[in-house]
Amino acid sequence: MKKKFKVKNSRLGESPGATKLKILVFIFSFLIINFSLLTPSHSKVYIDITSPAFRKLPLSISYFGPEETKEIAEIVKNDLDFTGIFYPIDPDLPGVEINVRINARISEKIKADVLVFDLIANREILIKSYAAPKKILRALAHSISNDIFRVVTGKKGMFRTKISYVRSSSSKKWLYLADWDGYSPVRIVSKGLSLSHSWSSDGLHIIYSSERKKQWSIYSLNLKNYKETVLFLSRGLNLVGGVSPDNRIAFSSSKDGSPEIYVMNMKGRGIRKLTKSFGIDVSPVFSPDGSRIAFVSDRGGSPQIYIMDAYGRRTRRLTFQGSYNTSPAWSPDGKWIAYVGRKYGKNHIFMIKSDSTELRQLTEEGNNENPTFSPDGIFIAFDSDRKGNKGIYIININDGRQRKITPKGVKAMHPKWSPYFK
Amino acid sequence: MKKYLAVILMIFAMGCAKKYVQPHEYDEGVERKGEVVEEKISPEEARLPDSSVVEESLFKFEDALFDFDRYNIRPDARAVLDSVAAWLNSNRGTNLLIEGNCDEMGTNEYNLALGEKRANTARDYLISRGISSGRISHISYGEEKPLCTEKNEDCWQRNRRAHFVVTR
Repeated sequence: MKKKFKVKNSRLGESPGATKLKILVFIFSFLIINFSLLTPSHSKVYIDITSPAFRKLPLSISYFGPEETKEIAEIVKNDLDFTGIFYPIDPDLPGVEINVRINARISEKIKADVLVFDLIANREILIKSYAAPKKILRALAHSISNDIFRVVTGKKGMFRTKISYVRSSSSKKWLYLADWDGYSPVRIVSKGLSLSHSWSSDGLHIIYSSERKKQWSIYSLNLKNYKETVLFLSRGLNLVGGVSPDNRIAFSSSKDGSPEIYVMNMKGRGIRKLTKSFGIDVSPVFSPDGSRIAFVSDRGGSPQIYIMDAYGRRTRRLTFQGSYNTSPAWSPDGKWIAYVGRKYGKNHIFMIKSDSTELRQLTEEGNNENPTFSPDGIFIAFDSDRKGNKGIYIININDGRQRKITPKGVKAMHPKWSPYFK
Repeated sequence: MKKYLAVILMIFAMGCAKKYVQPHEYDEGVERKGEVVEEKISPEEARLPDSSVVEESLFKFEDALFDFDRYNIRPDARAVLDSVAAWLNSNRGTNLLIEGNCDEMGTNEYNLALGEKRANTARDYLISRGISSGRISHISYGEEKPLCTEKNEDCWQRNRRAHFVVTR
């Protein structure tokens, strides 16, 4: 699983000597040799996906090569389709605006040549070759999706991001890591009962709370070498919340009696207490700029979401509807907070503007908990029991489409979306 | 050249350092590739306090029950706690572990905090009845270790509890 690879990237227009050689040391890295034959200046006009006048772009994918080519094309199609920005149609139908051609061949590796043509502007917007070992075909396909997304929208694609989640069987609770579409799941923490967890801002560590020998402690897992270290250990309940862009960790601890909010650094030092109340203060998450913290408190008589600054000052209540609002998650643009609200006896995912001015309900069926935003802000992953066992779902918050990403019969919950990987 | 040799050696070393066990299987037909990685025990892990808790309690008490989303001691729970206090007062050589639990209706993380408060208030009550705080430890399991899993109020009430385990 863990390998060292070299990524070679060359562009026409750069001098041959400018070819950069990078060595990536990361578990998700793999050997993909990319040859892009377009200068960046060729693809500078992007569609504005935030414009109200935006409509889905009709996109067709044609492919040629061995059977794996079809699989690659299917993955790319699924990736792009679910964003709601593209509308996959048959290549022979009229109206196609973006045409993707994938030519693949297989020897020891898969090699795929991709050409993306903009039929409206009548020019190529991407010409690139990809190569990867056969067993990581999915990663290769997601890389193609990332590039297509980028040349069309001008924004980074998130198809190579990961989702961590808790999988349970009988009394066990393990941490897993999977692709954003649920494929390639890997168990990363087997010891104890692990629940709350969070990604470091660079995506290189997962910080998590695990109960072992009747003690809840906060651990850090290095994803390069799978080494675990204890960050915080004390009497009582110690639950990790979110991590700030500069890697401050917010957590809840009952070391002094009641669960209160604290922050500490990635080494588990520099601990600072931010709240003081008789009741429960839990689930602290940083705003994307690290300046504020949303958390849950029952100081008003029922669990509600509050916002304070990163020093524990200027606290205000965010949620007023309903008597049970928990599990806040901040959107990447900082404008929204997703949370779980209890309505008519069921838990649902809601989104509220961080100034409380607008409220949206995203789910209708079953109990839906633990929302987490994708780094591009297009999706929210959460868990739901709508089909019986809890499983991980993804919702496109723009068009409401939902997809289950864990298989039937697998009990999975508490997803956390990774940041973009460098 | 030296640099490349170093890289190759590192790859080799990493390959040796790690053991991979068989990919685990999902119960469904969809093929999912994945590898289970064996965990390493860190030195810190080895230093974790080892509580000498025996799972089988030396004495069985009733559970102290709570209302939904509440951690105040109800009158019926008071009677239970008084009997626990009386027993502890006449069995000096024993200690007590209080486990705070919740029903499945709330959300997992909040329920862990709620279970903590339930265990806490039970502990405070016992201390107010003359039990030394040094004899009492507690832990919250939130909704993670339910007694029953039926989806009805009867089962949910059974799960909203402080459970008492007597230890030496």
